[in-house]
Amino acid sequence: MKKKTFIIIAISVLLVSLTWFVLTPLLFPSTSGESTIAAPYPGFSAPNFSLNTPGGQVLSLSDYEGQPVLVIFWASWCSVCKRTMPGLQTVYEDYASRGFEILAINTTYQDSYLTAINYFEEQNYTFPFLIDEDGLTASDYKTHALPTSVLIGPDGDVLDVVIGSGMSDALLRSKLDQLLVDEN
Amino acid sequence: MFPIIEIGPLAVQAAGLILILSIWVGLWITGKFAKSLGTNGDVLENSILLGLLVGVIGARIGFFLQNPETFLARPLSIFTLSPTMLNTSFGLLTGVLTALITAQRNHLPLWPTLDTLTPLIIFLFGGLHLANLANGDQFGLPTQLPWGILLWGTNRHPVQIYGLLLGIGLLIWFFFKTSQLKQTGYFQSGLLFLSTIAGISLITIFTRAFIEQKILIAMIDIPQLLSLFILLGCLFGFYKRRYQPQKHISVFISMGSNLNPQENLVLALEQISAMFKVRRLSSIYLTKDVKAGEKSADFLNQIIEIETANTFPKLIKQLKTIEQNFKRLPGNKRKVSLDLDILTYDGHVFKYHSISIPDPDIERYRYIAEPLSEIAPDFRHPASGRSIQEISEKCPDKSEIKLSEEVENGS
Repeated sequence: MKKKTFIIIAISVLLVSLTWFVLTPLLFPSTSGESTIAAPYPGFSAPNFSLNTPGGQVLSLSDYEGQPVLVIFWASWCSVCKRTMPGLQTVYEDYASRGFEILAINTTYQDSYLTAINYFEEQNYTFPFLIDEDGLTASDYKTHALPTSVLIGPDGDVLDVVIGSGMSDALLRSKLDQLLVDEN
Repeated sequence: MFPIIEIGPLAVQAAGLILILSIWVGLWITGKFAKSLGTNGDVLENSILLGLLVGVIGARIGFFLQNPETFLARPLSIFTLSPTMLNTSFGLLTGVLTALITAQRNHLPLWPTLDTLTPLIIFLFGGLHLANLANGDQFGLPTQLPWGILLWGTNRHPVQIYGLLLGIGLLIWFFFKTSQLKQTGYFQSGLLFLSTIAGISLITIFTRAFIEQKILIAMIDIPQLLSLFILLGCLFGFYKRRYQPQKHISVFISMGSNLNPQENLVLALEQISAMFKVRRLSSIYLTKDVKAGEKSADFLNQIIEIETANTFPKLIKQLKTIEQNFKRLPGNKRKVSLDLDILTYDGHVFKYHSISIPDPDIERYRYIAEPLSEIAPDFRHPASGRSIQEISEKCPDKSEIKLSEEVENGS
């Protein structure tokens, strides 16, 4: 390529890029108020649900407004879930007094309810057990693997989604520490 | 969107797998490219793998430095096997530093190495967009366009696909430019790398406009602004390396003759010093013809370092003219009145017609390695970074080399 050709191409490329850069905020403004859309992704508002406990009580996510909530989808056949949940219980014991709540949603539509409830009681988990009988809530949360943990802030927005064993007690503690410091 | 793959205690998300795959394929292609360029592919691969390993460990340590209370209360949790609890910036920093230090300690030459890395960079760029698609990360603004995809509650610009398609375009350009990995496509090392990074910046400037969650400071998207600066830097660097005339280019030339060699080498040197400034001159070495075997007469060889401002094509034309003055019969390998081979052209790595620079014979034959180590003991192979001592030691050619006569250095 001749020097002159290169300079012409380089300057045109730069001018086009600069124009595009300047036009970006005008043509494609970031839409604010995105969190009015419910989606299981950080930055959106967490999809609401109302599910039964084994005792017949109905719990809704909206009941916990103003509190940080961890929603975890799990099943009794899921070994990773069973390895993850005891850690969550220890966090729950330390942080429940500060308003933290865990909602353990059993994917009952693909699990044995009896095995699940027996396991849950054996382990003496103190957070609520919720029954997702038709899989609608799991579907709202686009759950495609277990466990799926969704951390929801006091304002009802999704803060973090972790699939698999990643929601360890250490991670949850560090997130809650940040969250509860911000609150104060 | 994409399924999860469980391996032991790890639930590997498709996104992670895509990234690992793109690194793997990119490294493989980079290795092939390194082989044809003569750059040190093994050292390069080791530096990158070590950088990756240290980067992952660094990312975990970074996370705990950020959250000291969590760590002090539960020190064992640092070993948790999961792709969470990672501090990306700290990981990137430690990983890149490790790779750089390893590369530096092995004397990998900067620009040829960066050129070699281009396929890996393009694969990573494409892989990152595919991984974002799998995760639903970096999603686009809502749109009514027919190719919008339903994501997070509404139809959106498929930004990840825009980036992926343009990245594939860049890959096609790359394969075209390197004619399937046989050359760099440019005389000057670094131009392939600079044009690739310019391409990536250009794509990023374009696609960032459609991203929903921009990183804004005063209405300006920071990654877009950074890409604009990188594009500017790349174009400027390209211009400097490609078009700004270099005045003192060092060129090593191997001279050989087996027809009146004593006389011819002296005459050749005269003609060369009339046209160029001669920097260094080796002794004359007597060797058997390594290519034609016993049948032909012995060769006298000498290496000369000259200084020139000429472009490579011009230089090769000048040397051909000198060769023709000695009536070299093209194709007759038995009787050579004068043979001039350019061994290196500054630090550049490229291929011009059938000539590879640096000449692969440097690492093949003693009649080049020996005189080179005599006049330039500090010489490092411009592509692989190997020292001349290492090249001599590992030279597969074991033929006998004798000093023909001592000449005074410099003349």
